[in-house]
Amino acid sequence: MMPYYKFDYFGFDFSLVIAFVIGIGFGFALERGGFGNARILAAQFYFTNMRVLKVMFSAIVTAMIGLFYFAWIGWLDLSLIYIGDTYLVPQIVGGFILGVGFTIGGYCPGTSFVSASTGRKDGIVFILGILFGIFVFGEIFPLIEDFYYSTNLGRATLPDALGLPYGMVVFLVVLMAIGAFALAGWGEKVMSKKNWSRC
Amino acid sequence: MQELTTTRHNLHIDPTMTVWGWEIPVYLFLGGLVAGMMIISGYFIFSQRYKKTNCVTYVLPIISIVLLSIGMFSLFLDLEHKLYVWRLYTTFRITSPMSWGAWILILVYPVIVANLLMDPPKFIANKFPQLQKVKDYIHQRPMLIKNIGVGNMLLGGMLGVYTGVLLSTMGSRPLWNSSMLWVLFLVSGLSTAAAFVHMIAANVEERELLAKADNGFLTIELFVLALLIIGLSTSSAVHISAAKLLVSGIFAPAFWVFVVGLGVVIPLIIQLNAVNHKIKHTPIAPILVIIGGLILRFIIVQAGQYSHYLNAHFK
Amino acid sequence: MSTQKTYEPKPYSNPYLVGVGLGLVLLAAFLIMGRGLGASGAASTLVAVGIEKVAPEHAANNNFYKEYLGDGTTNPLKDWLVFEVLGVIVGGFLSGTFAHRINFTTEKGPNVTNKQRLIYAFIGGTIMGIGAKLARGCTSGLALTGGAVLSLGGWLFMLAVFAGAYAVAYFIRRQWL
Repeated sequence: MMPYYKFDYFGFDFSLVIAFVIGIGFGFALERGGFGNARILAAQFYFTNMRVLKVMFSAIVTAMIGLFYFAWIGWLDLSLIYIGDTYLVPQIVGGFILGVGFTIGGYCPGTSFVSASTGRKDGIVFILGILFGIFVFGEIFPLIEDFYYSTNLGRATLPDALGLPYGMVVFLVVLMAIGAFALAGWGEKVMSKKNWSRC
Repeated sequence: MQELTTTRHNLHIDPTMTVWGWEIPVYLFLGGLVAGMMIISGYFIFSQRYKKTNCVTYVLPIISIVLLSIGMFSLFLDLEHKLYVWRLYTTFRITSPMSWGAWILILVYPVIVANLLMDPPKFIANKFPQLQKVKDYIHQRPMLIKNIGVGNMLLGGMLGVYTGVLLSTMGSRPLWNSSMLWVLFLVSGLSTAAAFVHMIAANVEERELLAKADNGFLTIELFVLALLIIGLSTSSAVHISAAKLLVSGIFAPAFWVFVVGLGVVIPLIIQLNAVNHKIKHTPIAPILVIIGGLILRFIIVQAGQYSHYLNAHFK
Repeated sequence: MSTQKTYEPKPYSNPYLVGVGLGLVLLAAFLIMGRGLGASGAASTLVAVGIEKVAPEHAANNNFYKEYLGDGTTNPLKDWLVFEVLGVIVGGFLSGTFAHRINFTTEKGPNVTNKQRLIYAFIGGTIMGIGAKLARGCTSGLALTGGAVLSLGGWLFMLAVFAGAYAVAYFIRRQWL
């Protein structure tokens, strides 16, 4: 039965080796997608290059369908897949702050590691910024601890929240992704004609 | 080193014996690196490559002397009775690897110095102008040069082998009870040395040659590592649990990630593409090989001290 | 003597192909480990270990750092995300090497100096560090992983990220355009 780790096919120490191998795949894919380059990532927010959206949604759709399929044929115990608890307000606020940092800095944590490993100085500085930001967060943590743990919804998922069956939500996400891809292609065409530097 | 007694009341022994800190692995690593460099330098002399003035064989001996002396010094730091170090040289015991090692180390120096004298670095040559005469003397005698090359290869080989033999003679540590250990240390020394020389060589042809040689050594190293683990895991229970320390136990992350992954496989992939001119040569690959070699020594020494005849009974 | 060849950077791959590849990596993580990918957690571990080295008592009194330091029986750096991020660095380097994209430069728009860009990068990184910790994850750990397992928090977080990013994009367009 999958996931293998939860069924003790190997121990904690060997799981770190697997982490390294999976990380190589992750980093390789990110670099192939151009995510080691801040200009490509930032272009997403000016609609000139929608790579981020295309890669992200096709990855989510692939993994989601895979999970659904393996659970459906009975090889995977879906309840053993780790899903973090939802803390509604802190996560939305945190996401908004992170988005602001994304546009200003040009990376997110994962992509900054890739950009640093391909020699981009801004990526290296960005990582230092993240470390400093985490330090700042750690120092103010006692003050915001109550907010941090507020609006806990537990292991909330979209199917629960929408009251729809799992397979239906998977189908809807796929539809939405296809729509987003079409929109992205259209947006790129329109925005590449517009001259941003003058506005 | 602490004395081991049969009543096992020494607090350094139970539950695990860790009396060797950073000194021994560093010494083993530097010893292996110097051994590899001596073999490479000796081979370049022997194969007439020394006739090119930018041949790396004129750079290596001074580096070897410095690195070997650092290694010897860290070994000296590990000695319990530092003032008695000279006693190693008052005797020779054919069954003692320590005695062999002490004497090999003493013989290694003159051979490296002979290589050095073929063309001493400028800062030495300027101070001692009479060295020019020695240099001329050597260069008039091709057979002597050949013998310097052979001597370097021979003693380099002995030095590289001895670092592994030193560990595998210790019967009480199951992980070290493998006849593959000296092969592993010799090959790893050669691969780190080839990587290091590949990084510093001025001659492009030599660089290419060494990158290719390094790929060969790294491939052999993979096989030797596999044989080491297979050999241990087909042995008695204590040896199997010693092998498990590396394969899936507490040393597994460091072993697989830093030694096998970052130290062998990834540099091998990069260098294989580089020697086929698919990608640029990057200094990252040799640096990874060198760090991997150092971590290999640390893991073998630490995991060896952790591996235990008693560990088989309680986990 | 071999001639010195020059290598031109290859163009980036098709985004949909990359996306499927990334999705398969993520799927492998789910099937083998039962968990998804991440990145900011490794940075938190590094910070926590650093604080613990400099000021052990300060770290012990802070619930946030304590969470990343574990119970002290194992080295906190022996962590799944730390090893995964190490792999990310290696994987990115390998991919960049094969595509000749390793370059010691600064990526920036044409209208800013390198120094300005680096200052922006540091400020952006700091803001992101705070945001990621508040949200308990970053784009890889929460949006990508949470998105694939249909986590409610993951999807809301993703929308919030895009909202935040587009909200400020206009004001700092000089940096990129």
